[in-house]
Amino acid sequence: MPALRSLFEWVDTFPSSVFLRESVVWFPALLTVHVIGMCLFAGLIIMMDLRLLGVGNTRTPFSVVQRRLFPWQLVGMVLSASTGLILIYSQPMRYYSNIFFWVKAFMMMLAGINAMAFHYSTYHSVARWDADSKMPFGAKMAAVFSLALWAFVIMSGRLIAYNWFNPV
Amino acid sequence: MLPFFTWMGDSALGTGVRDSIWIYAFDQAAHLVALAVFAGAVLVVDLRMIGSGFKSRPMAQVARDAQPWLIWSLIALALTGIPQLFSNSIKEYYSDWFWYKMYALAAALIFTFTIRRSVAFADEARAKPSLAKVVGLVSIALWLSVAVLARLIGLLS
Repeated sequence: MPALRSLFEWVDTFPSSVFLRESVVWFPALLTVHVIGMCLFAGLIIMMDLRLLGVGNTRTPFSVVQRRLFPWQLVGMVLSASTGLILIYSQPMRYYSNIFFWVKAFMMMLAGINAMAFHYSTYHSVARWDADSKMPFGAKMAAVFSLALWAFVIMSGRLIAYNWFNPV
Repeated sequence: MLPFFTWMGDSALGTGVRDSIWIYAFDQAAHLVALAVFAGAVLVVDLRMIGSGFKSRPMAQVARDAQPWLIWSLIALALTGIPQLFSNSIKEYYSDWFWYKMYALAAALIFTFTIRRSVAFADEARAKPSLAKVVGLVSIALWLSVAVLARLIGLLS
């Protein structure tokens, strides 16, 4: 994708991008906040998925889990998304050439589609199974996909540190 | 302590993990997934304690639900953390951040399984909500410091 590559190459020349890249403080600070944001976001997504699967937090109705965790998931998402975008901005060519970065981006997109699909299908009948611990098939499927996809996102995110497959 | 750390580095586990970049990398990745589960299990209870999260539910119920996930993710963290320590033992020994993390971890574990546990499972009708609030905040602060210090071992040492 030449257009995408030129976008990354263009950002790479920004003085502010060069500044962040050359600073010894920004990278560790951004990465640390990124992990903390991940703990808040992914941690509470996982707690919601375990409830949806019927294996965790079962004494709390699903709608309560969903509604009460949502604001905190949002805080976590803002923390990790903002630091993630600044990290890309600071080293665009490093991420562009890293396969794990693209795997991670793709898995995040799938996780988003999965969440949306659940929201517009199975979630409509939440009143019927809200307090159950035996969950409907659609809910369990959404939970399994979400757990697997976010685990992949976290793992591929960590593996970006390794440039095993970088083109030379 | 140094002889023990040298022994860890020379052990089959230490050399095996060190010699395979794949095992080491995937171990780090799995450690982070376990961290996410652990963070979730800690936070559902801490948020309830500070009067947010599942505030309409009894605290002991929320804590009892989270308990198995807290324990099992902690075991997963230890199982994925120990190979990293063995393979990197000398570097860790000379890293201030590693020792800060271990002190913070010891404090967080002791706090979680003594004070936090007794407050989380206490009879809410008799317990003071302000006490739960303080305990929830201390728990968040302790575990936050463990995670931050852990990340800094790899970045700054």
